[in-house]
Amino acid sequence: MAGNFWESSHFKEWLLDKQEIEVWRQKDVSYFSSSEDYQKLMIFFANFIQTLGGEQLKLRQQVISTAIIYFRRFYSRHSLGDVDPFLLGPTCLYLASKVEECGVVQPGTLYIRCKSLIRQKYQSIYNQDYSYKAQLIMECEFLLLEMLDCCLIVYHPYRPLTQYVTDLGQEDILLPTAWKIVNDTYRSDICMLYPPYLIALVAIHMAAVVHKKDVKAWFAELSIDMNKIIEITNLILDLYKMWKSYDEAKDVPELLAKMPKPTKCGSPGEPTPSPNK
Amino acid sequence: MSKRYRKLDILGEGQFATVYRAEDTERDNAIVAVKKIKIGQRREARDGINRTALREIKLLQELHHPHILGLLDVLGHKSNISLIFDFMDTDLEMIIKDKSLLLPPGVVKAYSLMILQGLEYLHAHWILHRDLKPNNLLINKDGVLKITDFGLAKAYGSPNRIMTHQVVTRWYRSPELLFGARLYSTGVDLWAVGCIIAEMLLRLPFLPGETDLGQLSTIFEFFGSPNEENWPSVKSLPDYVEFKPSPPQSFRDVFSAAGDDLIHLLESCMKLDPSKRCTASQALQSSYFSNPPGPTPGPRLPMPRSRKEIEADIEHEIMASRKRALDDSQEGQKVAKRLNF
Repeated sequence: MAGNFWESSHFKEWLLDKQEIEVWRQKDVSYFSSSEDYQKLMIFFANFIQTLGGEQLKLRQQVISTAIIYFRRFYSRHSLGDVDPFLLGPTCLYLASKVEECGVVQPGTLYIRCKSLIRQKYQSIYNQDYSYKAQLIMECEFLLLEMLDCCLIVYHPYRPLTQYVTDLGQEDILLPTAWKIVNDTYRSDICMLYPPYLIALVAIHMAAVVHKKDVKAWFAELSIDMNKIIEITNLILDLYKMWKSYDEAKDVPELLAKMPKPTKCGSPGEPTPSPNK
Repeated sequence: MSKRYRKLDILGEGQFATVYRAEDTERDNAIVAVKKIKIGQRREARDGINRTALREIKLLQELHHPHILGLLDVLGHKSNISLIFDFMDTDLEMIIKDKSLLLPPGVVKAYSLMILQGLEYLHAHWILHRDLKPNNLLINKDGVLKITDFGLAKAYGSPNRIMTHQVVTRWYRSPELLFGARLYSTGVDLWAVGCIIAEMLLRLPFLPGETDLGQLSTIFEFFGSPNEENWPSVKSLPDYVEFKPSPPQSFRDVFSAAGDDLIHLLESCMKLDPSKRCTASQALQSSYFSNPPGPTPGPRLPMPRSRKEIEADIEHEIMASRKRALDDSQEGQKVAKRLNF
């Protein structure tokens, strides 16, 4: 939807504060050796959602990005032990595909695709049979809707990005790089901390540096706070530094072993998960 | 339902939902409306949260305007889902149909103004309502009108996104939708507003067609059949069929009591060619709203008698007509007897 971002639930309810996220996350981080480990696990799940949505279900990037936001929003206020991320991830894709109204994904298909993806690609990481069937995905969908406070419309940097780049007139050179940088921000908290238009501007700024293009004059006319741009750029650079040391095959099995396990819900055959009640 | 909301009675039942009146026990027993979405077919139940309900939730969560009915809460249990709204006492359909109420010009203006203000806000947020009709325009006891039922609403403006043309209750459906247009815009809602304002004046549906094709002939009987001149691109529409050429009638003849400014507004909302229709903002700028009389203030707007009163009345009338029938038949007998004599 192309409504007004400044009046949206995204802006009013769901631009989160770094400290706030850290406080909520404290307990979960304590299961791992560092906050970096938690971040790496989140990279893994974002990749998992991306692969499931893109390669397996052929969904548009916008749908996948919305799903990743739902996923991150959920765990920004809940423990990984509340609902198994291997159930929540597919559920986020399911809800996002309905909200974005781009083609229909049946929960049964989702289960089959997820199962085969795990068998093909993640056998060494997830060494049990995938068992979150359609019924569980639909039950989890409701919980997700509730935890999101029914705020479903998510704004992404893609639309402002294409608009800005067109205005800047360096489309073919800057857009592909900037687009990739935007996608990368979904691998960290950045996408929950800043309005999408700022992330788009940061991506353009970084892409210009990569391609040695001078965009100073264009940025000067925008009258935005360059300190904010630098602040976000630094967060993205931190992400890249951490990402470099991320080795899925080696790190993820260890991290999954440490991850808090759902006690009362999210396990196969259990009734509706409801950590709040 | 839930412990918080105590069900009082059924307000109405539609295709997708049942609406109850309930008390919110956590808010001083404030009266609310609970819209319980029907689970429907087994096929739907296998598809998690109902898509229509989800669409309504998603849009209402972003919309906050005095003339849009706001969502208070969402309740759910397994595949059951209920939306909680402010309770609204009546709707525009009830008011139009209640012949004991007068709708003087100020009242028509007040309702038209509130409809268009709500619609302007929706369109500014790139949302088409697509199902405007008098019973989707709710009115509370303070006379405030609120647009409701966003189950068919849709974000528009994304290029190349094909949309369905099976929307909007038939009588309020614009000619381009009836011709199967897949790329349409705010004009579909303005057409419906025109129909609604006309209905307030006539106290009867303005264009009551009995089938989709019949709807088109009803429209063209009044507006004249479409041609290259009044609607240049009409022949390229998917379901276009040619109608016998007929001349347009004049609004002035049908709406004899309406002022020139109102006639002009109706004409602007109801151009056959959607690209020539006015926008909600332009409609609000029209002289109709700046000319006297001013819109009647909310508390002085009419309220239909309560449901109970109407039911009591109907009962009374049935009794009376039975009695009449009885009297008639007795009289008939008497007459017959007399004839016999």
